Amino acid sequence: MLANNNKSMLRSQVRVQEEAFDPGVEQQALLAGRSDIGAVVSFTGLVRDFNERPEVTALTLEHYPGMTEAALAQIIDEARERWPIDAVSIIHRVGRLTPGDPIVLVVVACAHRRAAFEACEFLMDYLKTRAPLWKKEHTASGDYWVSEREQDHHDAQRWEKESP
Amino acid sequence: MLTHLNERGEAHMVDVGDKAETRREATASGAIFMAPATLGLLVEGRLPKGDVLATARIAGIQAAKRTHELIPLCHALSLSKVTIDFDIDRESGCVRVRALCRLNGRTGVEMEALTAVSVACLTLYDMCKAVDKDMEIGAVHLETKTGGKSGDYCRNTALGHSADQNHVADQGSVTAAEASIPENRPNMADSVVSTAEGVANTKSAVVHVRCLAELRERLGVEETSVTFASLPSADVAGLKAQLGRMDKRFQYLNDAQVLCAVNHVMAGDSSAITEGDEVAFFPPVTGG
Repeated sequence: MLANNNKSMLRSQVRVQEEAFDPGVEQQALLAGRSDIGAVVSFTGLVRDFNERPEVTALTLEHYPGMTEAALAQIIDEARERWPIDAVSIIHRVGRLTPGDPIVLVVVACAHRRAAFEACEFLMDYLKTRAPLWKKEHTASGDYWVSEREQDHHDAQRWEKESP
Repeated sequence: MLTHLNERGEAHMVDVGDKAETRREATASGAIFMAPATLGLLVEGRLPKGDVLATARIAGIQAAKRTHELIPLCHALSLSKVTIDFDIDRESGCVRVRALCRLNGRTGVEMEALTAVSVACLTLYDMCKAVDKDMEIGAVHLETKTGGKSGDYCRNTALGHSADQNHVADQGSVTAAEASIPENRPNMADSVVSTAEGVANTKSAVVHVRCLAELRERLGVEETSVTFASLPSADVAGLKAQLGRMDKRFQYLNDAQVLCAVNHVMAGDSSAITEGDEVAFFPPVTGG
């Protein structure tokens, strides 16, 4: 699960699971035994009770097993080409979730804060536009598949403009 | 069940007298597409000619029994069972018709099932034409055929007709997918093994197709497979063309919104595909 690469000291983890996760526990596990890390940035996405319609009662997340893990690993590789990342973990939940539940966790640890902040944002922006996951929202007025948001593509595109 | 065999003496008619009697069954399906308003009137029973579906059902059953009068080289058969089912598919704006024919005998009953579907569709047209002359009959095809020397047949596309198809629910698409999966469908690992051993395995000469999330529900297809040799070109565009030929609902795959991955890697129309590949189609992603 937690892959250690001695050469670059990179710890990298990708998980797709139905079970809930504890961001604190995950961060601790990622940093355990390391004293070369100066900054850790963690993002947790939660289920909102409003989105395309008000009163979202639940969410069903579907993914493409096999490809999801590969796509997330690929996104991590791209982030590593841009920032000196020491440890990174992405956990995404699938299945039925209710408002307040954590959906996604991205933890990035680097020597310095700027790289950690930027890499975490980059990973989330790319995850939202490239990882094969789909949300179906359940509301009092019916179920529907969530539409893609143009804003997500703008968010991802800004990294492309800034690339060398 | 067969009271007599028709030996009419036509030289070009297959002599089935020596064939073993087996239980034969065939299912066929088709659809008649119409305006949403027409479909609404049909469902509410407000069309001028009365109960449309009941009439079309009787017409389909009668047609199955009289197939030999319509199709020149068909034998007259004593069918043991004929059923006609309808699905109202509001999303696609059509009534789907499914016919099942069965007998214990010496010839297949696929022509009977296809005739039943065709005549049921024609009757639906006749019953609704007062309010809608633009209706179109289509997608008439054999779904399954069992019994007999030529072996069992199951149409390779998953687009047949599941009883639940009008409910765009997971259950509906699962049913469609189950119907579509050929026996002993090889997975990717199988085809790799057979290639390594140099074993000719015709069953692996297919491309596996998956539809995910909203696209799966829209098309009513979770998985299907396409014979690699049938592709007009060995790329994603060729696969889409062949799928579109198999069922016009797959033409939606050309929509700019539909994304594609070959063996778990994002791909485009020009991406090459080969035997044993898994090609997935899905809508824009919305995770995170």
